Amino acid sequence: MLLEGSHFIHSPPSRVFALLNDPDVLSRCVPGVKSLVLDGTDSYKAQVEVAIGPVKGKFDGKIAITEKVQDQSMTLKVEFKSPVGIANALGTLKLEPENDGTTVHWAGEPQLMGMIASVGARLIGGVAKVQADLFFSKLELEAQKVES
Amino acid sequence: MAQVVAVTMTVNGVKSTHHPEPRTLLVHYLREKLGLTGTHVGCDTSQCGSCTVHVDGMAIKSCTMFAVQAEGANVTTIEGMGEIGHLHALQTGFWEEHGLQCGFCTPGMIMSSADLLSHNPNPSESEIRHALEGNFCRCTGYHNIVKAVQNAAHSMAQSAMAQAADD
Amino acid sequence: MTEKFFGKAVKRVEDPRFITGAGNYTDDIVLHNMTYAAMVRSPYAHAKINSIDASAALALPGVLAVLTGKDLVAAGINPIPPGWLLPDLKISAHHAIQPDKVTHVGNIVAAVIAETRAIAEDAAALVDVDYEMLPAVALGSTALAEGAPQVHELAPGNVAFKWEIGDSAAVDAEFAHAFKTVEVKLRNQRLVPNAIEPRSSLADYKRAGDEYTLYTTSQNPHIHRVMLGAFIMGIPEHKLRIVSPDVGGGFGSKIFQYPEEVIVLFASKKLNRPVKWTATRSESFVSDAQGRDHETVAEMCVDADHKVLALRVKTIANLGAYLTTFAPAVPTYLYGTLMNGTYKWKAIHCHVTGTYTNTVGVDAYRGAGRPEATYVLERIMSRMALELGVDPLEFRRKNFIQPDEFPYQTPVALQYDSGNYEPAMDKAMAMLDYAGLRAKQAEGRKNGKYIGIGVSTYLEACGLAPSALVGSLGAQAGQWESALVRVSATGKVEVLTGSHSHGQGHETAFAQVVADELQIPMEDVSIVHGDTARLPHGWGTYGSRSAPVGLSAIKMASDKINDKAKKIAAHLLEASVDDIVHEDGKYQVKGVPEKSKSFFDIALMAHLAHNYPADLEPGLEATHFYDPKNFVYPFGTHLAVVEVDANTGHIQLIRYVCVDDCGPIINPLIVEGQVHGGVAQGMGQALLENTVYDDNGQLTSGSYLEYTMPRADNMVQLEIGHTVTPSPHNPLGVKGIGEAGTISSTAAIANAVIDALEPFGVKHLDMPYTPEKVWRAISASLPQAADD
Repeated sequence: MLLEGSHFIHSPPSRVFALLNDPDVLSRCVPGVKSLVLDGTDSYKAQVEVAIGPVKGKFDGKIAITEKVQDQSMTLKVEFKSPVGIANALGTLKLEPENDGTTVHWAGEPQLMGMIASVGARLIGGVAKVQADLFFSKLELEAQKVES
Repeated sequence: MAQVVAVTMTVNGVKSTHHPEPRTLLVHYLREKLGLTGTHVGCDTSQCGSCTVHVDGMAIKSCTMFAVQAEGANVTTIEGMGEIGHLHALQTGFWEEHGLQCGFCTPGMIMSSADLLSHNPNPSESEIRHALEGNFCRCTGYHNIVKAVQNAAHSMAQSAMAQAADD
Repeated sequence: MTEKFFGKAVKRVEDPRFITGAGNYTDDIVLHNMTYAAMVRSPYAHAKINSIDASAALALPGVLAVLTGKDLVAAGINPIPPGWLLPDLKISAHHAIQPDKVTHVGNIVAAVIAETRAIAEDAAALVDVDYEMLPAVALGSTALAEGAPQVHELAPGNVAFKWEIGDSAAVDAEFAHAFKTVEVKLRNQRLVPNAIEPRSSLADYKRAGDEYTLYTTSQNPHIHRVMLGAFIMGIPEHKLRIVSPDVGGGFGSKIFQYPEEVIVLFASKKLNRPVKWTATRSESFVSDAQGRDHETVAEMCVDADHKVLALRVKTIANLGAYLTTFAPAVPTYLYGTLMNGTYKWKAIHCHVTGTYTNTVGVDAYRGAGRPEATYVLERIMSRMALELGVDPLEFRRKNFIQPDEFPYQTPVALQYDSGNYEPAMDKAMAMLDYAGLRAKQAEGRKNGKYIGIGVSTYLEACGLAPSALVGSLGAQAGQWESALVRVSATGKVEVLTGSHSHGQGHETAFAQVVADELQIPMEDVSIVHGDTARLPHGWGTYGSRSAPVGLSAIKMASDKINDKAKKIAAHLLEASVDDIVHEDGKYQVKGVPEKSKSFFDIALMAHLAHNYPADLEPGLEATHFYDPKNFVYPFGTHLAVVEVDANTGHIQLIRYVCVDDCGPIINPLIVEGQVHGGVAQGMGQALLENTVYDDNGQLTSGSYLEYTMPRADNMVQLEIGHTVTPSPHNPLGVKGIGEAGTISSTAAIANAVIDALEPFGVKHLDMPYTPEKVWRAISASLPQAADD
C-alpha cells in the first residue's frame, strides 16, 4: 500500500533540507523516538516506541538516507524490528519551493511483518498519517526556532 | 524474581489474599492463584467472552482487567453460580436445551446471560442474540443457547411468581 | 420392558461438569514442578535463519532453556511426516523447530522454557534471530506462475502433487454434443477453524521407567502416539502415553500432529520436569492448520431435456508451506470423489494441483474436501438452472439418482449403497412453503425488497472405509475403530472407545446404545475415551466416523457380552444356550420368565466363576475392532433464505430449513445440535470469514479484530427436519451427521445470495459476501444517474 502526503513548512528548501539531516532535530521530531544516533554517513540507529492499533512495541532499527539531491530530495530506507513484528519502509521526500516556504511531499510503502501485520495492517494508513502530521508540525516548530 | 503485589478480593464468597505480579490479568489470577479453571481463555484481544465473570455484580471479560484492579471487589465465577443439586436457572437451561457441546465457551455464556437476565428478565430472541454478541461459540450455532436463555428466563419468572404467591 | 434409549432426547451426561466449571481441559491441568514453554515464531513468510542469539533470553532469571532447531536435529528428532501419501508427492521437511529456513509467518525458530508463563513469553521476545528475508508467495495460482518464488527446492514450480479422477475423454465427448454448457470460476476462500479452546500440550517425562505422558488437545490420541513415537521422536509406543482430556472443539484442527507437541516432550525429558505450552489466539491464527483455499474452474453441460451430462473441474489447492497430517487427502480423495453429488452424470473429470505457498498448512476443516466439492457442484447446478431459466429445485429433481438405482456406481470411484433424495427435498420445500415464498420474492422485488432463496441438495461420504481401500489410496492409517466393553463384578459397565468426544456427546449417545444392548440403566454405563493407557488402539474422531464406525464397534462388542452372558445364564439355569433369550433386562429361558438371571447375577458369576461353564473363560469383557465395508452416504436438502439491503449491501440470513438423512437418530438433541453448529460454520464461510494474506505472505486477518467469527446475531433459529434411510451395511444403520451442516450450508447460502442479487444482473460473486462486496456489485449494475 503506497502512502503519501505533503506538508508546508515556512522555511526555504535549503533550511528544511538541513533540518531533515540533523540528527538532533530528527530525534526531537520523530514521534515516539527514544534514541537516534548517527551511525556512519547518512545512516542512523534508532529506537522508537510505536502503537499500531492494539499492538504497542519498542522498535530497534536503522534509517539509511540514499539518493540525496541537495535541497531537493532524498530516499529513506527504514528497517525496524521488535518482538511484535517488523516494519520496513522505503520512502521518498521531495522538497518543492513554494511562496515563502517549502512543500515537502512524502511517499512511502511500508511493509509490516509478524503480529503487527496480522492485527495492524489495516490501521497503518491512519497511523502513518497521524505520525506524519506530528513530525511535520514539530519540524515547523524547529524551522521557526532556527530562524528566530 | 519479578515484583509482586498483594491483592485481596472475595471470589464466590471466599475472601483471600495473594501476591501476583502487577501485570497479572484477573483471568490468570482466578485460574492460577485460585485454581478456578472454569473461567477460560479463548483469545487475546477481548473478543471471545470465554473469560466472562461478574465483578461487583457486572459481567466483565476478566482478560480486560488486571487482578489488582479487582482489589476489594466481589467476584463471581461459574463455580460460584451453582452446583449439581443446586443449579442456577441458567445452568439448568443450558443443560435442558443442549446449549453446549464442547463446553469451553459455556461458563462465559452463562455469566453473560446472567448479566442480561438481571437487567432484562424477559428478553426477546433478538435481545438475547444482541446481548451475547461478545461471546463466541463455535459448536452450537447459538440456536440452543438462545433457547437455554429463554428457558432460564421462563423458569426464573415462574419461581419469582411462586415466591410472590408465598409471601 | 426395560427403558429404551435409542431415539430419545436424553439430556447429556457430560454437561454437569461443563455447566459448573468443572471441565478438565489441558490448560487446566497443573503438575508438580511444572514449567512453561513459549515459542519464538517467524515474523517473515520466507527467510533464511542466519543466526540465533539467545544470550539475553538465557540471562533472564527463571529461564531454564532455549531450544533451537539444531538442538532437535542433533538429538535425532525427525521432521513431522504427512499421514497420507499420493504418487509422486513432494514432501517438504516440516521440523518442529526450523533449523535453517522459515516458510511461513508463525513457523517456530526457537522455544523458551521457563519457570512461569510470563517469564517464558518475556524471554521469547529477547531471542534475537537474524533473518535474511526471501521473496514469498501466498496464493496458489501465483505460486504456479512462471518465476514465482520457490517455497521448497524439492518441489519445482511449487507443485506438491498433480492428481486426477474420472474419464477426461468421456467428458470431452459429452461436451461435444451438449445442448448447453456453463462455466464458473470459484474461489473457495481459506478459513481458520477457530475451536474456542486454543491448542495446549503438557508433557511429563518420568525418569523412572523412561516414560512420557503427553496431555494434549487432540481428536485422536493414538495417531499422535504412532507419529510421535515411531516416526518423529523414536519413543517406543509403550513408553508414550497420550491423554486427550476435555477438548474445547476441534473441527479437524486438532487431528494433526503439531510441532509444539514434539517440543514439550523433548523439553520435558531434557529438563526432567513437566513442560506446558498453551497457544494464545494470535498463535492459533498462525499455527493451527487452516481449511479450504481452492481456486477452481468448473464447467458442466446438459442435454435438451435438461439432463446433466458431464462435469469438468480444475482446481488449484493451496496446501500452505507444509503437508500436515491429512493434507494430501483432503483436496483429492475427499474432494474429487464427491463431485457426483446426488445426480446422474454420464461423465466427470476432476484435476487438482496441490501447491506449496508461504502460508500456514491447509488440512481438514469441518467437512474436509466435501464442502469444497459441494460448493462447486451446487453452485454450478444453480448457475445452470439460472441459464436455462428453470427452477433450481426442479432442475435438481429431474437429475436425481432414483431410489431403485442403488447401489449406484458414480464416475468418480464411490459406490453409493443407499439414498432417497426426493422425499428430503419435498419435505424441505413444504417446511419452507417454497412456492409461496417464490411468489413473495417476486412481489417484494417490485417494492425494492430483495430476498433470495438458495438450495443445496447435498450428499456426503463419511465414515471413511474400509481400511484396505483407504490404504490403497495412500492412507498411512487404518480406518477401523475399536471398542472394549468391560463389565465389573457388580454389573457396572465401562466402554472404552477409540472415538474421541470433544463436543459430540459420545458419553451420552454411546451410553444410550450400550444401555439398550445390555438392557441396563444408562447410569450404569460410562464411556471412556482419550487415553492411550486405558484404551485399545483406536483411530479417533474425524470425518463423521464416530457413529457409523466407532459406535458400530461398541454395538458388536456389546453383542459379544450378550453372547457370553447367555452361556453363563444357560449354565446357571440348566438350559440350552439356544433357549436363552434376553428380555426385560434379564437372560431367561424362552417362555419361562421365572427362570431368569439378571445382568448383575451374570456379571457377578462371571467374576466369581464358582458355578460356571467348564469351557468358558471367566470375566466379562469383550473387544471388537470394526472395519466398515463402505462409506456411509448421508444426504439432504438445505434451503436458505437471505435478504439483501440494496442500500448497504448487508446480507441477513432470515430463514434456514434443512432436512437431513443421517439414518436412524440415536439422540435428536445431539443430532440437531450438530446440524446447528455445522450450518453456522457454513454460514460463516458464506457471509463472514476470510483469511487474508498479503502478497508478502503476511496474515493480515490474524485476530478476532479482523477475522469475522459468526456471532449470535448472525444466525436465525433453524428449521430442521429428517428423513430416515438407514445405511445397509453397519449394524445400527447409522450415518454421520457431524459435518453435513457445514458441507451443505455454504453452498445453500451462496446460492441464496446470488438469487437475491439476480435483479441486479449479478451471476456470481466470491465469498464471503461482505456488505462492501455486495454493495459494489449492486452499485456497478445500477445506471450512473444516481447523483440526482
